[in-house]
Amino acid sequence: MSRASRRHYHQRLQGALGNRFLGQTLARFQGNYRGSRQAGFAGLDFPALAAEVGAAKDAALGQMKELFQQFKAKAEAAGAQVHLAHDAGQAREIIADIAAQAGCQRIVKSKSMTSEEIHLNPYLEAQGLQVTETDLGEWIIQLRGEGPSHMVAPAIHLSRGEVAELFTQVTGQKQNPEDIASLVEVARGRLRQAMLTADMGISGANFALASTGSIATVTNEGNARLVTTLPRVHVALVGLEKLVPDLHTALKILQLLPRSATGQLISTYVTWITGAVECAANQGRKELHIVFLDNGRLALSQDPVFHQALRCVRCGSCANVCPIYGKVGGHNYGHVYIGAIGLILTYFYHGREAARDLVNNCLNCQACKVNCPAGIDLPALIKKTAGLVMAEEGRPLKNQLLRRVMTNRPLFHFLLRRADLAQKPLARGGRLIRHLPHFFAPGQEFRSLPVVAAEPLRDRWSRLALPVAEPRRKVALFGGCLIDFVYPEQAEAFLQLIEGQSIQVDYSRDQSCCGLPAAMASEEETAREVARQNLAALDAEQHDYVLSLCASCASHLKNYPKLLAEDPVWAGRARHLADKVIDLASFLQKEVDLEPGAGQGVKAAYHAPCHLCRGLGVHEAPKELLREAGYDYRPYEDEEVCCGFGGSYSLDFPELSAAILERKLGQVEGTGADILVTDCPGCVLQLEGGLDHRGSPIRVRHLAQALAEAQGKKDA
Amino acid sequence: MNQRELQIKFRQQAEAVAATVSQAASLEEAFAQAARLTREQGGACLAAPGWSQAETIAIRAACGREGLELVTQGLKDWVGRFHTGLTRAQWGVAESGTIVVDSASEDLRLATMLAETHVAVLGAGNIRDELFALEQELNRVLAQPQGYLAFITGPSRTADIELMLTLGAHGPRRLHLLLLEESS
Repeated sequence: MSRASRRHYHQRLQGALGNRFLGQTLARFQGNYRGSRQAGFAGLDFPALAAEVGAAKDAALGQMKELFQQFKAKAEAAGAQVHLAHDAGQAREIIADIAAQAGCQRIVKSKSMTSEEIHLNPYLEAQGLQVTETDLGEWIIQLRGEGPSHMVAPAIHLSRGEVAELFTQVTGQKQNPEDIASLVEVARGRLRQAMLTADMGISGANFALASTGSIATVTNEGNARLVTTLPRVHVALVGLEKLVPDLHTALKILQLLPRSATGQLISTYVTWITGAVECAANQGRKELHIVFLDNGRLALSQDPVFHQALRCVRCGSCANVCPIYGKVGGHNYGHVYIGAIGLILTYFYHGREAARDLVNNCLNCQACKVNCPAGIDLPALIKKTAGLVMAEEGRPLKNQLLRRVMTNRPLFHFLLRRADLAQKPLARGGRLIRHLPHFFAPGQEFRSLPVVAAEPLRDRWSRLALPVAEPRRKVALFGGCLIDFVYPEQAEAFLQLIEGQSIQVDYSRDQSCCGLPAAMASEEETAREVARQNLAALDAEQHDYVLSLCASCASHLKNYPKLLAEDPVWAGRARHLADKVIDLASFLQKEVDLEPGAGQGVKAAYHAPCHLCRGLGVHEAPKELLREAGYDYRPYEDEEVCCGFGGSYSLDFPELSAAILERKLGQVEGTGADILVTDCPGCVLQLEGGLDHRGSPIRVRHLAQALAEAQGKKDA
Repeated sequence: MNQRELQIKFRQQAEAVAATVSQAASLEEAFAQAARLTREQGGACLAAPGWSQAETIAIRAACGREGLELVTQGLKDWVGRFHTGLTRAQWGVAESGTIVVDSASEDLRLATMLAETHVAVLGAGNIRDELFALEQELNRVLAQPQGYLAFITGPSRTADIELMLTLGAHGPRRLHLLLLEESS
């Protein structure tokens, strides 16, 4: 059954990838967002503010019950009726009862993801009630019988032509798709009428202030103001995680929410309602019900790891920056909640069945994490959620194998060496395999694959590393599987760069895989086991630096303290090691005087590995080195966007990996570059394979190779 | 920022989100501008709830000069007929060009939500640099039972169809801010 559902999911992804309008719209959306967001945060220290919001939300989550009681007392004193629904069904019943008791027939709604979560509309309609969404995008998808494809822009997957056609049906009059203002006018007229004649308004809330019992909504269209003003009854459906202690906390969040959502400094309308406000149609006072939804939130708020997911303020930025969302849109990248946070919340709110295939669809590129205004470590939570699904369904065979092989370094390396023999006939004497038999790796036709080196780095080492008499610095080199067994020439280029610099480099044969692939497969125990092996092998205490030419390995080594935090024996050594981990570019800038190079104007584009620019926060160093080396550096828009590799991701989701790679390579080709430089062997594999498949003349170089070549030293 | 700088910043930021801004030396002048703007936009009726008796008399006079009808209460019966909603704003926020309007009165809410044009009169001395500078004042308003407080930044907008920004989705199509120079 799980295989059938996976096949079905891949079919949906293929369908989305074939939708040209969707691809263009999402690309434009994500491109515009990048600029608007940057402008919105100009002059603010985003990481510091996001950390503050994260801490404030954590504090509020820790006292959810108390805040609820405090809110209830204040709001009821101000004339509201406060309800607590334990699950979705109860929330639906409470709201239907309110409608029945107040004799309401016509309901207007402003946008509420919480009401989508509990599938409120179909339930109310089944009770014979008329429900009209009044947010333009929500109305459009309601008329089409769809769910939202984005938390902020629910109808972003539709073209003006589709909207015009829909509005032609609704009005019985031909609508011009080129005149968007007149389409908006249709909605304004229709929905104004619906709001004026409704007897109940349902809204969500962005904040519930315990200090005053106030709720707040944040909107641009102004429909939430009308929905909460015109009808005589107002029901606000609010997730318990929206409770904050006071206005100050809400303002802190408000400082980031619109900027993260759309780049606006503030949304057009922020509305604060306290109690039963004046309402002539209801004998002077509005009938206000505030329905809080638990649906697993109270339990989740107590979870030491997953409580983070409740920090979410529903800005949608994790979708806006996600390369996968940018290819397939929200209907294929979420259930009700979409984007990275959707992959996590779907499991908790809508169950394993809905989450199973989704939760594996993450590149771990970290773009969502560094943009999250609440500092949620989304990629890590996604992996942990996948781990929960796996624990319930049983480990797939590949995970069992991975555990057995990875924890046994000699066996793992023995298998890698054997691969050299197996692939020889496929490579036909070259360094790339262009055609794998399809049954062996379905979907891999989008790139050529490198062959395993005949002699791994570990076997060459004794010949390569010359002893240094009185070393100025001692470096422990961490190779990583790809450099050790596939690209040892990248490490050789590094050794050439530091020749004569009195730097001693040690390469321990006991080092193994960094463990990132195990962590990505939600095999945490395996990841911890190899981490301990590497800590012992690298002996960071005896070195000034632990250097890796692989950004992914380096960033994962930096993560060892977190991974081993509960390990009394190894936690200290993990911290020690993490402090010494460094990437190539930063190391060279700090420790090595390179001759100003003779790159001789060779045009070089750069690909920023996710784990370097976001994982380690290194943005400019590699490009500065390239320019200093004499290269004609050529920038392009998506320089810091993932190449689509993601390790095993490119095997599990080849259709997406290929689509993400294609966009990147198209931009690289647009720069007119002769070479494409990066500093991660995984990215090299993906980029080189893709360029070779396209028949492009652009050559891919690891930064170490590009710099060594510019030094006029041997072509590595 | 001093008061002058706050005003300049406020004006810049409000205009950046498609509000229009003008100065008025007195309330009378503000009312005259609101009435003239209504006539120029082709409106025939102005809604002005929440003003004192004396102010209402002045508004009525301004409307009279422009040939406009004035309505001050029971606005629900006037839906679709009033073109302009004329209200006060309690505070302005320079950082984002935002006005803060105490909207507890239902008529005042209807005037600011259902008008084609919302004209708000803001004392120039009531502009602060950011929302955090208004925390005490806002907390006082929120602590009053049966309150409805609005931060308004530019006219109503949507980008729900192909991300094309369109003004006037549900609320006013235009927001005009009158900066009142006299102490208020």
